[in-house]
Parts: sequence; C-alpha cells; structure tokens
Amino acid sequence: MIEHLRKLDGLLLLIMASLAVLGMITLYAAVHQGGIDLWQRQMMHWSIAISVFLAICLIPLRVMALLSWPAYLSALLALLLVPLFGDVQMGARRWLDLGVINFQPSELMKWALMLLLAHWFASRDAASMKSLLPAMIFALLPAVLIVMQPDLGTTLLLLFSAIVMIFSAGLPWKWAAYGVLSSLISLPVLWHNMHTYQKQRVLSFLHPEADPLGAGYHVIQSNIAIGSGGLFGKGYLHGTQARLHFLPEQHTDFIFAVLAEEGGLIASGLLLTLYALLIARIISISMHASTRFGAMLCIGISAIFTLYILINIGMVSGVLPVVGVPLPFISYGGSALITMLAALGMVMRVSIESRDKLPWQRPGSPFA
Amino acid sequence: MIANSLKMRGRFERRMLLLQWLAALLLLLLFIRLADLQWLQHEGLLLQAEQNRINVVPILPTRGEIVDRHGQGLAVNHVSYRLTLIPERSENISAVLTQVQQLMHWPDKRLKRLQKQLAHSRRDRPILLADKLEWNEIAQVAARLHQLPGIDVQAGTHRFYPYGALSSHLIGYLSLARNEDLQHGVLPSEKVGRRGVERTFESTLHGLPGSQYEEVDAHGRRISAFKRVPPQMGKRLQLSLDIGLQQVASEALGERTGAVVVLDVNNGEVLALLSKPGFEPNRFITGLETEQWQSWINDSQHPLINRAIQAVYPPASTFKLLVGLAGLAKQSPLIHQATQCLGYVKLGDRKLRCWKRRGHRRVDLHKALVESCDVYFYELGDQLGMAAISDTARQWGFGETTNIGIGPEATGSIPRTNGGRRWFRGETMITAIGQGTVTASPLQMARFTAAIANGGALLRPHLLAGQTPEITRQIDVLPENINIIRKAMRDVVVSVHGTAHRAMAKLAWTSAGKTGTAQVVTEAQDEDKLPKGMQKKQLKRHRDHAWFVGYAPYEKPRIAFAIFVEHGGHGGSAAAPVAAALVRYLAKQEKVAAKTGQGS
Repeated sequence: MIEHLRKLDGLLLLIMASLAVLGMITLYAAVHQGGIDLWQRQMMHWSIAISVFLAICLIPLRVMALLSWPAYLSALLALLLVPLFGDVQMGARRWLDLGVINFQPSELMKWALMLLLAHWFASRDAASMKSLLPAMIFALLPAVLIVMQPDLGTTLLLLFSAIVMIFSAGLPWKWAAYGVLSSLISLPVLWHNMHTYQKQRVLSFLHPEADPLGAGYHVIQSNIAIGSGGLFGKGYLHGTQARLHFLPEQHTDFIFAVLAEEGGLIASGLLLTLYALLIARIISISMHASTRFGAMLCIGISAIFTLYILINIGMVSGVLPVVGVPLPFISYGGSALITMLAALGMVMRVSIESRDKLPWQRPGSPFA
Repeated sequence: MIANSLKMRGRFERRMLLLQWLAALLLLLLFIRLADLQWLQHEGLLLQAEQNRINVVPILPTRGEIVDRHGQGLAVNHVSYRLTLIPERSENISAVLTQVQQLMHWPDKRLKRLQKQLAHSRRDRPILLADKLEWNEIAQVAARLHQLPGIDVQAGTHRFYPYGALSSHLIGYLSLARNEDLQHGVLPSEKVGRRGVERTFESTLHGLPGSQYEEVDAHGRRISAFKRVPPQMGKRLQLSLDIGLQQVASEALGERTGAVVVLDVNNGEVLALLSKPGFEPNRFITGLETEQWQSWINDSQHPLINRAIQAVYPPASTFKLLVGLAGLAKQSPLIHQATQCLGYVKLGDRKLRCWKRRGHRRVDLHKALVESCDVYFYELGDQLGMAAISDTARQWGFGETTNIGIGPEATGSIPRTNGGRRWFRGETMITAIGQGTVTASPLQMARFTAAIANGGALLRPHLLAGQTPEITRQIDVLPENINIIRKAMRDVVVSVHGTAHRAMAKLAWTSAGKTGTAQVVTEAQDEDKLPKGMQKKQLKRHRDHAWFVGYAPYEKPRIAFAIFVEHGGHGGSAAAPVAAALVRYLAKQEKVAAKTGQGS
C-alpha cells in the first residue's frame, strides 16, 4: 500500500488539495451566517470522499472493467425504480430514499455509463456500426429515463459525455456530421416536449430582465454578485449579495457567485486555472495510459468535469440556462463530492498502472 | 496488428488534442464572460448591488404650526400613538391579539377583521393595528409591552385644528399627497395643504424630509442603519388674525349664514376673516368619509365656500359711499344742492322707489348717506353716468382681486356701458344704489372701507403678522371729499336718524359705517307673484341680504370691517350688531392692554 501511495500522481494531488482548500474557504463564506453546521458536514463529506478516493486507487483497472456491467445495470435498475418509489423534491422525481441517504440514481448513472463505455471501447473502435450502435443504446436508454424525471441538465450532461467518448473512440467524421445534423433537426421536437418549467428556464435565460422577480431573478442576482466583485472582490466575508441573501442557492449551485463577489476576477480566474490544470492533467494521464480502458476512462471523466464546470459557471454568469448542476469540489453536497473523488480515484489508478513503463511497452496494452 | 494499433493510437491522440483545445477554448470563453462582468460591467453591477442592499427610509419633517397674533395655536401638531404588530416576533399571535383586544376594549368584530388581515400580511413587516390614539387609550397596552411580543407603540404627530370650523376657511386643511405633488418632490406618505393658509404657505410650513440609509437583506429586513440626513422642520407661521375677534364675530353671527372681515386700516393685516357656515377641518385629517364630503358638497348652505372672498353679492346701500365719492370727485351739481325725496322717482312710465315709501323730503348728500335715501342716489347716479361710477369704483378696488393670497378670489363685477348691448338710464340709477349687476365680496368691501378710513390707500390685505404693508394703489382723492363721506358715516352711527344708530351708538369707540340691504327679489317680481297669504319676507331664501361696513375709532381709525349676513334682513338690525360686538371686544382689549402697560 505504501508502495502504491508513493506512485500517486503528485501534481493531481496538489490540484485536488488546492480545490479542496478553495472549496472549503468559499463554502464557509456562503454559510457562515447561520449555516455553519453545513460547513462541518461538508468537512465530513470530504473525509469520506478522500477515503473513497484512496480505496479506489487500490482497485486494479481489470476489476473496474469487470464491474462496469454490474454498475451500469444496477444504475439502470435504480433509475427504473425512481418513478415507482422516488421522492418528489421541487417538482421532480429524482431521489431514492435508501434510509441513510437520499441519492439520485441519475448521478450514479453518469459514472456507470462512462465506465461501461470505457470498457466497451477498450477493445473496440467506434468506426463500425456493430460497436457504435450498442454504445448509443447504452447512452440513450438512461437518457430517456432521466429526461422523464424530468432532469434536462443531467440528461444533456450524460449525452454530451457519451458523445465525447464515442468521438475519441474513433467515430468517423462523416457520422459525426450526420449526428450533429439530426440533433439540430430534433431540437424543435425536444422543445415541444419540454416541461413548462424547463421552457421557462430557457426563456428566462434568453431574457432575464423580462421577469426580474420570477425565473430570471436568480441569474440577475448572480450576475450582480459576480460583476459587483470587480477585479479584486469585496473582501472575504464582505460580499453583500451573499451576506444579505440576495443570491439564491448560494451554498450549492450558485456558490461560484459568492467566490466571484468576494474574491473578484482574481479568485474566479484562479478557480478556472485550477480547473484547467485538473482537466489538462487528467487528459495527460489519459494519453499516457497503459491500457485503452484506462485512457477511455480518463476521457470520460475529464469530459464530465469539463461539462460540470462549463454548465455551472455558464449558468451562474448568465450565458447558459439555469440547470441544477453543482460546481465540482466547491458546491455543498456529499454525494456529488464522493462520486467526483471516486472518479479521480480511477484516474489516479490509471496513472499508477502506467507508471512503470511506457504505454506501448506494457503487456496487454492495446497499443503494445 | 502493431501498425493498426499505432494508427489507432495516432488517431486517438489527435482527437484528444482536439478535445483538449476545445475544452481550453470553452474555458477561455467562460473567462472572457467573467472578465466582461467583473471588469467591463463592474461599475453598473456594483451600483445595482448597492441599490439591492441600501434602503432609504424618509424621515418626515414636522409641519410648522400656525398661530394667531397672540400666539394662540390655530393649526398644531398633536402627538398621537399608533399600535403595530410584527407577526414574526410573536410565537402566539392570537393570544397576543386577544390580550390587546381586552386592553383596548375592542369589539370581537374588529379582532376578526385584524386576524383576516394578518393572514394575508407579510410576517416580517409591522402591521398597523390602530392609529391616532391618545395616550390614555394606549397607556394600558404600553405598560404591558413586555408581555406582548411583536406589539409596538409608536409616537407620531397629526395635524389638529383647535378652533375647528371657526378658522376652517382661512386655515384650510391637509390631505395626502396626490400625483401632481409627487412631481414636486413630496413623498407619497406626506400630507399637503389644500386650502387657505395651509396651501398658500405650503413651502414654508412643510419643511424638507430627511432620510435614513439602512442596509436590508433580500427579504427587506433591516440589518443596520448607517447614515442619517436630518429633516428640515417646517417653519412656524404667525398670522395677523385675532382668533378671539374671530370668535366674537362667529358668536354674533350665531347660526346665520354670512361673512365677517376685519382689517387693520393702517397696514392691511387681516384681524378676522370668517365665513359661516364652516366645516370641521379635523375631519380631513382623520380621514374623510365620502358621505361627509358629499353632505358638504350637497349642503344648500355650501359650507365649503369661503363667503368672505369667494362669494360676491350686490353691495346695496354700502355702494352709496362709492357713488358719493364719485359725485364729489366729479363735482356733480347735486353734491352742492339738495333734492326732494317723495319716496320714488319717475323714469318714463316706471317708478323707482326709495326704501322709505313716504319719502325723506329734502335730502342732501349727508342726509342721503345717513338715512340711506335711494332717490338722492338715483338722481346722483343719473347725473354722473355709468362710466364715471365705473371709473371711480375701479379706482377704489372694485372689480379686481385683493391678492390676499388665499385663493381662489372672486373679482365681483362693475357694469360697463360699453358692454356691447344697449344700456338703459334706469340701470345706472339702480347701480347707484348698489343693486343690479354690481357685485363685490365682503373682503373687497372691507378693503374699500379701510381706504376711506386711512385717507385713500388701497392696501393689499395680508395674513402674516409683522409683514411689511403693501399699498396696491394710492387713490387720487381730496382729503375734504373723504371727510364729507367720513362725517356722514359717523352720523350713520351717531345721529338718531342714522340707520345703524340703535346697534352702534353706545360703544366705547365712536364708529363710522354704512348699512346695506340687498334685495334678493326685485320689486318687479313683486309680492303678488308669491303664493297667496305668504309675505315676501317670510320665505327665507327671498329675504334680503344684510350689509354693514365701517371703521373704528372714528377719530383715529384702527380697524375696518365688512359684515355680510345672507338673507339676514336689514343691514342696521342684522349686520350692525355684529360690528358692535367686534368694536366692543377690541375696545375692551385696548383698555386691558393700556392697564397692563403693554400697548396694543
């Protein structure tokens, strides 16, 4: 075990540690008035998440590949159970009550699908229909179930990360073009089938000023918070938008606005830099992976992280519609944090297994 | 196999690089968006953030009080209390309310209404339970505030008019700001003067609101207060009015409809300005009910009209003073001789009658004024012609507003011969006794009389104590001419034949004056037109208007007055006693002042 730990990627650990520290500092600012217990709980979440991370570092990639099918199928089963036994929160049926914790099967599915697709393309190429068609079914099946919950944000995230994986697995350009074309055509159909609240969110994203106290309120207030922070911010714990509760959901989805208001462009730039480094590091590990399974795994994980970051900050800064997506490592929330660190554990495992030799020198590598 | 693998790997790496650049590009776009917000749009958004958190609460100024010349409060600020409840501060609202109900002796209905209101109210904002409470009403609750969480007692002020209807037309009243006031910087919760002094001196009385800057959270809760701009209080206004004199005038008029104006002949100060009936101005302050307003509007006595300045009436025989002045100025032949009054003059086949049916026999100007002979003035008017009367009348302030400042003021009318229609001789003769189309307001009559008393200075009546007198016009009149009129006015009071002798003779001050009795139904529409058995004078709305104008003391004039009693009957018996009461009051006041050595 000690030997394993010595093989851990130092740079990745450093980035993770920086994000953890920045996340806890920001969360404190968001909850220090009357919600300090949330900060303490997030501390606990971090310790659980780190344990999970370390545990996953110990699981050989072979075993992970074996677990991909059971993981996917159980996530699918859980998704099917949601309409039957799920809890309704804020108008959507997304949660399953497991006694101890409420969890969202859709959250689990994102990672399970990623694992399955990595496994699927470990020995296949996306250039043939025989391999592409099942992959598309793997992705569309849960997507349909999740969009019915309804949870448009997670559905799009799931589909985009699947597309990125299929694309890296060697999807011919011609087919990619067909795909883009057909999705553009299906857009009006999708709009027609959207729920009113989803349409409203999209509309309020396009015209936030039209309804400043209604659906557009969140975006306007977070834009005010971010913009009023300026270059250097209002100072730690001195953000008026955050302190006086003008920011909605300021410890979860809109926490970025707290950081930007109090730390200014300096802080938001720092966070974006950390994220960029994280993604770059994961991609770099992917490029040096000893197995194609590991490489694909890292692709999927970096895709999910990138989408999380883009969607969340894009939404908070008013360039994307409001969808419930947390900001990785910063937003309050246990299950998202634990799954993200679990994913980073997989990345770390890929890194560990590719330490000794160059990829193509390793036995069993598809590149060998 | 290896070649294929290498090809796959190459493609994989190319696509990885592509995706990496794509991710980098998207993150860069995101950064550009953040720079846009935090750098380029920073100032505007910072302003919005400040507007979000800063709430400016106005601090209303206290309105200036209005007092009379002796410092008696005419419009004052009463301290009153309001009872409020902030629901979220109370754990058991209904228990608290029940307790308040018992202490305040409210009926159950009121409690139910409040509970209904509470159900629809925000829990963090104070809800008004009761307003304009006196201390004794609220003392029970105030003493138990610690047992009543959420309940608060706040002191404030409201306008109060201690003399009510007595000064209602002069002082006016307040009402909530309207749209047009808001454009002049008045706040919606403020009250604005609507009539009389309250309106004319609004800018002096009002003051300027201050503000309290507060930090509030997203729910509007006050977090802290940080800056305070104190309000500029309204200024106290001292009027020249003597409310005691006003009171005397009101008592003398009693229940009758009419108006009394008393001016200082030397400086134009208004000592009394009364119109009856009045209205209760305090009703406007506590919130006027529509029924009350409607009843005032529909009242046949028109209590909202200020008869002293807004209403005009035929001046009747009081106008003879003016016609006499005109005759003296134009040196009419009749001035230097006498005429015979047989009770009427003939004009074609019509008879113009004197009020004294059997005639005054031989009358000159003096006797004609003292005994108010109509025939003499028919003839004098005929000699003068309408144009001469009209010119003199305009000189002495008829047909123009006095600019007293509390509008709207009626101008009255002086007929013109060049009015575009044929003018009859008889009309001039009727005008010469103050009947027909000539009209004047009581204030115009008082100003006219004051000008006689002070030697021809037409003053602008004003309401503020100690204000510099303003002469509208110095009338070009010979002192001996004025003296002839003055002497006649004295004998109206002093001579046993004088029309006001009975009412005014036995007073400490010698007064001078002129009575007037304005016909409401002309003789042409004579008695025979009325229903059988009903005398003309019995029907109240057909009864004559009574006038009495004059000044006192005769030797050294101080005050001029005009008394008008609507449908009062004869000037000598209905209006003159009111003047007597005024003179009695002022003479007594002077005596007391002399005793205490304060001077007037």
